[in-house]
Amino acid sequence: MSALSSAPSAPADPPPAIEVQGLTKRYGSRDRGVLALDQVSLRIPAGTVFGLLGPNGAGKTTLIKVLTGISDITSGDARVAGLDVRRDSLRVRARIGWVAAEVILDDDFSAWENLWLQAKLQDLRDWQERARELLRYFSLDDRRDEKVSRYSTGMRKKLEIALALLHQPSVIFMDEPTIGLDVATRRMLWEIVTGIHTEFGVTVLLTTHYIEEADALCERVAIIDHGRIIAEGSPNELKARVQADLVVLETANGLDPKMLSALPGVQEVRPLGNEWTIRVASAEAFLPKLLHAVPPEEVRRISVEKPSLETVFLDLTGRRLGQDEPMRDVRKFYMQMRRARA
Amino acid sequence: MRSQLWGLYLREILRTFRNPFVLLITIVQPFMWLAFFGSGFGQYAKDLASVYGTSNYIEFLLPGVLSTSMLSVGMFGSMSTIQDKRFGFMKRILITPTSKEVIFLAKALGSATRGLIQIPVMVAAAVAFGVTFHLSALDWLAWTVGLLMVAIGFSSMFLAITASSTDWQTPGVVSNFITMPLMFASAALYPSSAFPAWMKAISDVNPISYSAKLGRTMVLGGSIDLQGLAVLALFAGVMLAIGYGVSARWLKVE
Repeated sequence: MSALSSAPSAPADPPPAIEVQGLTKRYGSRDRGVLALDQVSLRIPAGTVFGLLGPNGAGKTTLIKVLTGISDITSGDARVAGLDVRRDSLRVRARIGWVAAEVILDDDFSAWENLWLQAKLQDLRDWQERARELLRYFSLDDRRDEKVSRYSTGMRKKLEIALALLHQPSVIFMDEPTIGLDVATRRMLWEIVTGIHTEFGVTVLLTTHYIEEADALCERVAIIDHGRIIAEGSPNELKARVQADLVVLETANGLDPKMLSALPGVQEVRPLGNEWTIRVASAEAFLPKLLHAVPPEEVRRISVEKPSLETVFLDLTGRRLGQDEPMRDVRKFYMQMRRARA
Repeated sequence: MRSQLWGLYLREILRTFRNPFVLLITIVQPFMWLAFFGSGFGQYAKDLASVYGTSNYIEFLLPGVLSTSMLSVGMFGSMSTIQDKRFGFMKRILITPTSKEVIFLAKALGSATRGLIQIPVMVAAAVAFGVTFHLSALDWLAWTVGLLMVAIGFSSMFLAITASSTDWQTPGVVSNFITMPLMFASAALYPSSAFPAWMKAISDVNPISYSAKLGRTMVLGGSIDLQGLAVLALFAGVMLAIGYGVSARWLKVE
């Protein structure tokens, strides 16, 4: 597959693929509008898979819209592939690829015709050989002339990624690419993301609210909440920030929080009804003491969470990812399904 | 710009031919005007040959129906734009070096081309209804260009009106609001000479009147109305310019 490789030889200190400084995006008026991005600053090195992790409505998609030139910037600066997003919008769009949460293809067209249209939109001349190789890479070459409405969801996703790669972009934006996919297709997509990053040398900015996805795919992750970046680092760096286990205890009746706080090794206790999230230095050392202190008939459930991006988010915000708006995710999923079948 | 315009224009055309239902409606709708209105009203028009300039009302009606059909193709164009917005395709297009103005031009030209598909079908239908054509190649060309101008003008107008909308119903509502006054206050279905003054004033600036008269003059044995053709070209140019500017500023992405 070396012929497909688009990675330029790396200079000693390559410029960042994406650089954002004090970026603010407000929808509507200053007093009654919605602040979707609030002073976001990011520096994404070229050639990395960078994850933007956050709940629905956190500002992930808005950031992609702003960086791809779909939405205006209210204030601040953004550069993609070394170009100013505001001043060089068309040139930026020639250097980026985009994979949507919903699969967006022209269903009346075959895979080859979709690639033809993408080539026209990107103003490419000699695109056919590249298209053939991409179809081979994604194992779609034997069905290239079939209408894409007959494709499975996995095949449609592959074609969408092929479209994003056709013009050899330096950055690909993937906006929640695995939302609503079954486990097997999601795993396949993970392999593809890792594969295209290695094979084509592109920088991938991936938004997700799936913890395991960010953990498995991303070299660096920024956690975004209410339009603000609240933490950034490699998954291991972020997990190291927590340096604690979380014990979640559900009881039949209420407990005295002071009793829990007084147990050895407890750093913090957060009650939520009859559920207690207890931050401890070591769950292994803490559990025997907890079981000794709480009457057995009171205990309904105990679970332990080792440091993960989920616990990082919980630690930073006091909430779990997706805890606030489970219905929006379901709606988004069904919207995607309707579009895929339309 | 040429590459993007050609790609998007061809997409519009291919999608029409791959959607037999849209194609059928595009062709059948004006045909029904000839068949039902032409056959019914034509019985009364027979005795008024001096008013209509012919005893075969279909001969009089055909250029008018073709002109009003160009009005409805504009509605289909704006519906396809709204479909692109709702299904995310507009975003896919705009995350490439394609401008909103190019999208507008491709949609307007695509709609206009869809409108032209009706001409041969309608002419064939008119022949079946007993119309005989004695037009030169230049006459046919002038008539087609006139219809193309009307189609471009109305497509641009519809696209400009619905540029910021994502509601499926908007093109239909706009079409219902616009079609009736434009169709009836024109020379499409009957001569405008006997209209009340206020209706005649509308008819005199109505592009459908100019287009209907352009075709009718030639079908009934006259020569090319160059002044009418120039008015239609002006209408298309102004509407294209308005649509171009409106799309650049207000075309909504989703």
